Amino acid sequence: MRGKLRALWPPILIAAIFLIAWQLLVVIQDLKPYLLPAPTLIFSTFTSSIDLMFSAAIYTGSTALMGLVFGTFIGLVLALLAQRFGIVNNLITPLAAGLAAVPIIALTPILNNMFDITSRTPRVLITTIIVFFPVFVNVTKGLIQVRPVQLELMRSMNATPRTTLRVLRVPNAIPFFFTALKIAAPLAVIAALVAEYFGGPQTGLGSRIASAAANTAYGRAWAYVVASIITGLVFYLVVVMVEKWTTPWTGRSTTA
Amino acid sequence: MSDTTAVSAKGIWKVFNEGQANEVTALQDVDLTVSQGEFISLIGPSGCGKSTLLRVIADLTDATKGELTVAGLPVHEARKQQRYGIAFQQAALFDWRTVRRNVELPLELAGWDKAKRKDRALELLEMVQLSDFADHRPWELSGGMQQRVAIARSLAVDPPLLLMDEPFGALDEMTRERMQNELLRIRLETGKSIIFVTHSIPEAVYLSDRVVVMSPRPGRITDIIDVRLGNRNEDTRESEAFFEAVTAVREALRGRTGSAGSSVRARVGEV
Amino acid sequence: MTETAVVPSATPPRASTASRRLTRGVVSVLWALAGVALAIVMWELVKWVGTLVSLPFDSGDETMPHVWTIVDAFSQPEVRGSDTTVLQAVVASAAHSLLIAAGGFVIGVSVGLLLAIIMQRFSFMERGLLPFVIASQTVPLIALAPLIVGIGNRISFGPIQWDTTYSVMFIAAYLAFFPLSVGALRGLHSPTPTSLELMRSYAATPRQMLFRLRFPSSLPYLVPALKVSAASAIIGTVVAEISTGVKGGIGRLIIEYAREASSNPAKVYVAVLGALVLGLVAAGLVTALDLYLTRNLPKEGKA
Repeated sequence: MRGKLRALWPPILIAAIFLIAWQLLVVIQDLKPYLLPAPTLIFSTFTSSIDLMFSAAIYTGSTALMGLVFGTFIGLVLALLAQRFGIVNNLITPLAAGLAAVPIIALTPILNNMFDITSRTPRVLITTIIVFFPVFVNVTKGLIQVRPVQLELMRSMNATPRTTLRVLRVPNAIPFFFTALKIAAPLAVIAALVAEYFGGPQTGLGSRIASAAANTAYGRAWAYVVASIITGLVFYLVVVMVEKWTTPWTGRSTTA
Repeated sequence: MSDTTAVSAKGIWKVFNEGQANEVTALQDVDLTVSQGEFISLIGPSGCGKSTLLRVIADLTDATKGELTVAGLPVHEARKQQRYGIAFQQAALFDWRTVRRNVELPLELAGWDKAKRKDRALELLEMVQLSDFADHRPWELSGGMQQRVAIARSLAVDPPLLLMDEPFGALDEMTRERMQNELLRIRLETGKSIIFVTHSIPEAVYLSDRVVVMSPRPGRITDIIDVRLGNRNEDTRESEAFFEAVTAVREALRGRTGSAGSSVRARVGEV
Repeated sequence: MTETAVVPSATPPRASTASRRLTRGVVSVLWALAGVALAIVMWELVKWVGTLVSLPFDSGDETMPHVWTIVDAFSQPEVRGSDTTVLQAVVASAAHSLLIAAGGFVIGVSVGLLLAIIMQRFSFMERGLLPFVIASQTVPLIALAPLIVGIGNRISFGPIQWDTTYSVMFIAAYLAFFPLSVGALRGLHSPTPTSLELMRSYAATPRQMLFRLRFPSSLPYLVPALKVSAASAIIGTVVAEISTGVKGGIGRLIIEYAREASSNPAKVYVAVLGALVLGLVAAGLVTALDLYLTRNLPKEGKA
């Protein structure tokens, strides 16, 4: 407990200093909300419309969750295929490396045209694609990168490739999977949010931020931003908790 | 009644990258016969082929030429029927399994049922004196303890032959000596044949009935030395006979043959 | 059928590394081309299936033009009567975006590196700042782009008027600094205790430690971090351009062409392809930088 407290006070102290400085800046310089709202204003806007915040967060969060689930599923399936069939790996992995710098979200206008204007399918699709790549790349790595001495051990026990997959490769890949998920989960939230900028149903966090900004209601816009941050954090923390619960052995110094 | 030969190797060659610019002859015309219950060490400098020979016997890699049987069977069959257990320099335990479940691994793959596996694993952990750690995780154990678990695992299906590739190489000297005693005790209790690869001359002499000396470029057997030290005890390492045997092996490694007056050393070339 | 024989620990010598890497490079390019060919085939296949069966989305020629229609659009005039072709317009705006992203990349990398150095040197700063460095990435800055632009347009540093372009660059820098900061920090912490003791025995100052030990040993960590930073800078730039509508970059072009989709559906595809190629070019540039930085380091053993 003592160790945890010691680790917590520097960030808390800096957070406090940052917020106080911000508040002071706004007050002293008499900054108008359209330039930079005070933390107190953001806080009051947030709490007064907490139900709106919540429903918008649920909407965007569910889009993100759907994309996360589909993208993870497809990523896992293809990773298993990529380990088994080199051709799958050879086709997809360079693609993943090449597409790393590509703004996939730019596909949204095209998808919006292809689907109905009231559908949220384009957003889910974009999120799925964005989630797929880190999951695929990391899980494939985890399945393939087992130590040669472990493969020799399996062979010495006359294990079939399927058994080796079940007993060695999959457990080995689990930490890699969580690494990917820790990247993909917050990313899914951001993707779902930004995809809302391109039109379609306007009930999510992204749409609200954009409309609040357009109406110069900056206090409200920042309040929705806070809601977005919380949503992203929730996704991330859930992944961390699931990881700790299912894999107590990660993060330790590995054995010989 | 099976034959009393544990391993029979005749004319074994292993060539890597045959026909290419970087061709390497890892093993040249190796002949070796190991009787049931014998403890053989393979010793030599880097590149002499000792690890390669072990892997050929284990059917982890194919010999280019030659005849090889383990427990009277072709090596492929021997591996399929799990007629040997193997331990490497790295313990290679699985982090995601408890110590007991690591030992159970070969039994799982051989299709044993749950209760029998558990009993056998606990029995083996008892043999290596790690019963208290059955439900611990591998990273909670020291290097020496992990190796003991690896040895217990190699004994799981009770194979007649154990293959060991420098299993104590990563341990400190004191732990090493303790592990050597453990290994000899296990061998006494179970009567297994053991082929043991090592870099250490005292280790080879202390553990073995015969020390097979190999040399590199190309990898081949240059000497086989009988070690007649009788039952090992705590005075063995300090005895005159031990010192003479160590000297004999050292000289064989240096390539000096036929030095007079050594009663322990016998050069036996297997044909 | 058993597994193929496992390579023994005593591995034989490998063929010369330069020719190996060349063949590997050629092979991966061929695979990439195969992937592109596959994508084109899939595209047309989906369209064809759409003529037979009713798909949940619109696969007609107005929304999903044929591949050859898209290629055709490369050479069409951008606007009726204009001199520049669509392709020229796309390339020009992609180059513009690349410059902005580069600016953001440089700023982000510099700030990230500076932060990492401070955090490594003063553990209080590390404990205090690192959680925020990490938390900074949960702020969907791209989502804030309109807000940033709004604030930015009201600032001026003396004679320099803040342009929306600077807001875009700021967003790119914000996204780029995090991966580099984390990677650089890990790299700066990476020297072994033995190496540190060695330097201490030479009475090395912290500055000497930094330049002669920590920086060189952090290269293997910096290299992948630079890749991620560059990717983030590009993505941040294009997405910010899209959400702010700032002129000159490829993001704006995508929006404009998307609006004209009813009259000329192929143009938006050309623009999106342009953004794709932009990403690939950036990835290629960073890979070249990485190869240069690690030219003297031992290469990875994995095939």
